[in-house]
Amino acid sequence: MNNLVILPVLIPFFTGALLILFSKKQRIQKIISSISSFVILAVAIYLAVYVYQNGITVLEVGDWPAPFGIVLVADMFANIMVILSAIVGVVCLFFTFQTISPKREKYYFYPFYFFLLTGVNGAFLTGDLFNLFVFFEVMLIASYVLIVHGGTKYQLRESFKYVIINVFSSMLFLVAVAYIYSITGTLNMAHLSERVAELEQAGALNVVAVLFFIVFAIKGALFPLYFWLPRSYYGPPAAIAALFGGLLTKVGVYAIIRTFTLIFYHDAGFTHKGIITAIAGFTMLLGVLGAVSQFNFKRILSYHIISQVGYMVMGLGVYTTLAVAGAIYYIVHHIIVKSALFLFAGATEKITGTNDLKQMGGLLKTHPYLAWMFFITALSLAGIPPLSGFFSKFPIILSSFQEEQYVIGGVALLVGLLTLLSMMKIFSYVFWGKQKHTEEQAKYPAGKLLLPIVPLVALTIILGLAAEPIFSYSLMAAEQIMDPTHYIDSVLKE
Amino acid sequence: MFTVNLAIMIPFIAALIIPLVHKKVSRSYIGWVVFIVPAALFVYLASFIPSMAEGNTIVHTWNWIPSIGINFTSYLDGLSMIFGLLITGVGALVVIYSIYYLDHDEMLYHFYVYLLIFMGGMLGVVFSDNIMVLYLFWEMTSISSFLLIAFWYHRKQSRYGAQKSFLITVGGGFAMLAGFIMLYVMTGTFSIREIIASVDDISAHALFIPAMALVLLGAFTKSAQFPFHIWLPDAMEAPTPVSAYLHSATMVKAGIYLVARFTPVFGGGEIWFWIITGVGFITMIWASFNAIRQTDLKALLAYSTVSQLGLIMSLFGMGSAALYFGYSAESVVYTQATFAALFHLVNHSTFKGALFMVIGIVDHEVGTRDIRRLGGLISFMPISFTITLIGSFSMAGVPLFNGFLSKEMFLTAVLNISKLNIFSLENIGAMLPVIAWVASVFTFVYSMIIVFKTFFGKYKEEKLEHQADEPKMGMLIPPIILAVLVVVIFFFPNILGNYVLSPAMSSIYPGFGPNVDLGVEIEQWHGFNTELWMTIGIIITGIVLYLLLKYWKGIFRLFPRRFSFNRLYDNALLFIENRTTNITNMYMTGYLRDYLTYIFLFFIGAAGITLIYTGAFTFDVSNDVPVSMFELIMVVIMLGAGISILFVKSRLAAVLLYGVLGFAIAVFFVIFRAPDLALTQLVVETITTVLFLACFYFLPEWKKEEHDGRTKMTNIIISVGTGLVFILIALGVQHGQLFESISRYFEDAYELAGGMNIVNAILGDFRAFDTMLEVFVLVIAGMGVFSLIKLKSRKGGRKIEDQ
Repeated sequence: MNNLVILPVLIPFFTGALLILFSKKQRIQKIISSISSFVILAVAIYLAVYVYQNGITVLEVGDWPAPFGIVLVADMFANIMVILSAIVGVVCLFFTFQTISPKREKYYFYPFYFFLLTGVNGAFLTGDLFNLFVFFEVMLIASYVLIVHGGTKYQLRESFKYVIINVFSSMLFLVAVAYIYSITGTLNMAHLSERVAELEQAGALNVVAVLFFIVFAIKGALFPLYFWLPRSYYGPPAAIAALFGGLLTKVGVYAIIRTFTLIFYHDAGFTHKGIITAIAGFTMLLGVLGAVSQFNFKRILSYHIISQVGYMVMGLGVYTTLAVAGAIYYIVHHIIVKSALFLFAGATEKITGTNDLKQMGGLLKTHPYLAWMFFITALSLAGIPPLSGFFSKFPIILSSFQEEQYVIGGVALLVGLLTLLSMMKIFSYVFWGKQKHTEEQAKYPAGKLLLPIVPLVALTIILGLAAEPIFSYSLMAAEQIMDPTHYIDSVLKE
Repeated sequence: MFTVNLAIMIPFIAALIIPLVHKKVSRSYIGWVVFIVPAALFVYLASFIPSMAEGNTIVHTWNWIPSIGINFTSYLDGLSMIFGLLITGVGALVVIYSIYYLDHDEMLYHFYVYLLIFMGGMLGVVFSDNIMVLYLFWEMTSISSFLLIAFWYHRKQSRYGAQKSFLITVGGGFAMLAGFIMLYVMTGTFSIREIIASVDDISAHALFIPAMALVLLGAFTKSAQFPFHIWLPDAMEAPTPVSAYLHSATMVKAGIYLVARFTPVFGGGEIWFWIITGVGFITMIWASFNAIRQTDLKALLAYSTVSQLGLIMSLFGMGSAALYFGYSAESVVYTQATFAALFHLVNHSTFKGALFMVIGIVDHEVGTRDIRRLGGLISFMPISFTITLIGSFSMAGVPLFNGFLSKEMFLTAVLNISKLNIFSLENIGAMLPVIAWVASVFTFVYSMIIVFKTFFGKYKEEKLEHQADEPKMGMLIPPIILAVLVVVIFFFPNILGNYVLSPAMSSIYPGFGPNVDLGVEIEQWHGFNTELWMTIGIIITGIVLYLLLKYWKGIFRLFPRRFSFNRLYDNALLFIENRTTNITNMYMTGYLRDYLTYIFLFFIGAAGITLIYTGAFTFDVSNDVPVSMFELIMVVIMLGAGISILFVKSRLAAVLLYGVLGFAIAVFFVIFRAPDLALTQLVVETITTVLFLACFYFLPEWKKEEHDGRTKMTNIIISVGTGLVFILIALGVQHGQLFESISRYFEDAYELAGGMNIVNAILGDFRAFDTMLEVFVLVIAGMGVFSLIKLKSRKGGRKIEDQ
């Protein structure tokens, strides 16, 4: 029992509520939200240290004992996710300060922002399947509002599709919860794990597992369920696109990894090495093909989200400790890098007024810092050492070879090359070539825009050059989730 | 302690410092500051030569990521020493040269940063024992090469060349990575020395051949071997110092280094022998042939480099035959091929480096390097002419220059190999000397083109941009040093051979034992043997062909550019771009209906197949409670209401029918004796129905959507399928009570929480957290609607930020 676990959920919750009161006073909003975002980060790190030292930490909400009440569970995997959400939360917030219009600020932009973080952190920390559904709802409803916030024609049109598809997946989620409750009579995830193990995941449980996979795959933008993503992430402001692109889809991936290591791991030959691996391959490949076909900065990035999600899920599909550790490392890397890239797209758009690659050129001369920060991040995305992207792909591909799954390993390498191709396309069009922006635009001081992104670029370098700490952390986290007894024992205290 | 690890890091550290201080250093000095780095490193490495000559090696490890076995281990031995000296030595000269070559108003510090990154990367490649670290540095050289080729990035050709080289070399790098990973899977280590030690255990492994092929793919792409050579000519868009350094002396030799390094692992077998020898020979003859048709001097040199790399490559292939025999008097004949490879490697760096620099000088001084516009420069640029003469004649294999010595050794090696009776050589072995000879003739011809078309003939001032003149002395010094080396090595080859080349031999043949001397005594004169007659033949035929060049040049028309590998590359890229666009547009239609169709189809497929696959759809109703008449009636009512919704014409009717469904569920709760639930359901249903009615009052008339038959059919199939799957799963999950449900706990709600109504107790106490959050969802939704209505962009959809 430790109330610490609920703080990453409660702080953004109350911050958001408080900010509603100050919706017309932008200065106060900025002060409160920046302080709060740093507090969340501090708490997240403190919680991680605490869990690292004391093992998995559980809070039984309202003091109702597990498995009857709701539990929040902080293990190493959940913790690293909470830290990342806090980091991205800080960075995107400060980027928002630089780019958002006062009009948006007045209409509860910041409260929605923190409500979103509430839902995301809750989804990471909860140990109850129905509660996970509820946190998904919190997260999604906040995301619906943020994605359409500002109400441009484009946003309205594309958000509608986003909402409809997600509502369907929520419905499916609820039904799947009902099905599994009907079989096992419980909702607590540790308890579920025990009971599914007793049934050896026979018969209908496999079907339910597939249903859960579909639900989370829609959120996580996996093949063939990602259609909502590329266009809907294009509409909202850069900071929101970055937050969504970096963080939101990863909640779905997190849920897949959580459920398929804790609950549905008994038929790994069929679910993991069969279905999940195949889907991971298609996701990677079709995502990157989409990216290669685009000539628009943000669109390319959007398609890359899909392709990258494929790698993470591939780590789960290969299903060895090393591969899962790779998947965790990949999520860490991806959240950082992808958020940064979306912010670069935002900064570039702010300078040149466009997202179309063919209308840009020569920014290397006028904005060298932007160029080099982008370059490093782009290489990291493609998996070039010694950046974080390499050390996240490497264990996954290594494991796939060890498990004699050469095809998927080969696909992963090929996708890396295509990723590089499309990132170099951006670099070549935007930063090389003849200058196409006006002299006035060339003088645009990008420093303020870039400052919030610096930590992310620094992180991708550090995660590469000093990969050992995070990598051994990922390995430990992977060992923890690969052996569900740790989780079960902590929650049910048997 | 100053270790080789640190030596590798120094260029990187310098590259980090330069951007910080470049504003404080005068632009004319920045190059000299950079010069210190390779010069100092050269001296440092050279200080190990005596120790290396005694057969020592130096290993030093910095732990990096021990949890997956990736540590930064530097390994200094004879082989890496040769490369290390080349990298730092040529590097130092190139930096001096670049100081005079580049204009002061260019982005100088960018240039030097790239160059330093390259230098560090290249040192890392040759000094790393851990193959993952080697790979890391390998990619780093590709990246810096990419940036250097596109140094003048406003030129389209530069960007094209940069992208091409990057894609090909990094693509090869990825293949190599796969090969390395396979090596790890086989041996459990990333250390080259440990892999070599365990070679006997892995040579029968199923991954052995794939790993070999993949590693070679990396080597061939990097070293521009046929058919991957196409990137090198386009890389000539880079400033000339870069071409001299990366694209002739060092980076393109990384692949050769890799082959040499992995010879103890993969060598000794037929496949290794033939792939490397074969590719080397094809590259050599094809590139030397193509060099003749070039009109751009740098392109000519690029093809010549490719051809020379092929030559060195083939020598390493032939040298691997020695491993087949193990250490014996017989095998020493074949190790000579390897020795020749190392020797030619050094020689090539000297003469080709000098040639690139001179061509750069010509380009720099007269503004063109097109041989159709050049001619008669000898009287204006005598020093440049002398250097060119030395370089070209060395390349052509003419005596008095070091190229002659290694070329002779090459011919010796080919002649020896052709007499071998292993690896099916008895059939085609005799072809090898012929190919080697023909390629050498071509080499002779293009070497003559460089000298005579540039410096002799008529001076065409009107075609030049500037009046021809010798450049500043500083620009001439580096090529002069190299040219002097070309001559000195000819006269004193054994200093190089004994101190630098011989130690490398034991790195390539570690199995032969540490104290075996595989060095070769290099002789300028060894009598009138076959090799010498071949050389004489080459020179005579070469002169004749050069003089008759215009009569046989038509032969190149037989190889139209349409069918070239370049065109293949371009078309492949175009294909990828078009195809991906087609594929993506095919499914990303922008219509929600399509997306939902895919999603539902996937749902039906995935869930349905699993249902059948796991046998979950077999359910047994015999133990269920019999269905009463009353229940049946309710079901019929619900079905009726559900189906009618599809056919009603107004929203009002539809909402009411939904209400019927809801209330019927409440009735079921009553039948199944759950009054608490029934109450809750009634309340919820009433409220939602009323709310819907209130909202719909403000909406326009419901327009019936018109669909064609096909669409309707799809809709029917999907909706029926989806419903069916849901029902089947629902029946499948009814296993009876396998476990006691946690809801039993809540039946004591009164004692536990003081609640009379279980539902209320659950909502308000046991799971109040959920309830609070659901309320929270409503709040957010409400605020969202409010802000959506209030905050709307005006017509035309301009972005809020622009206002």
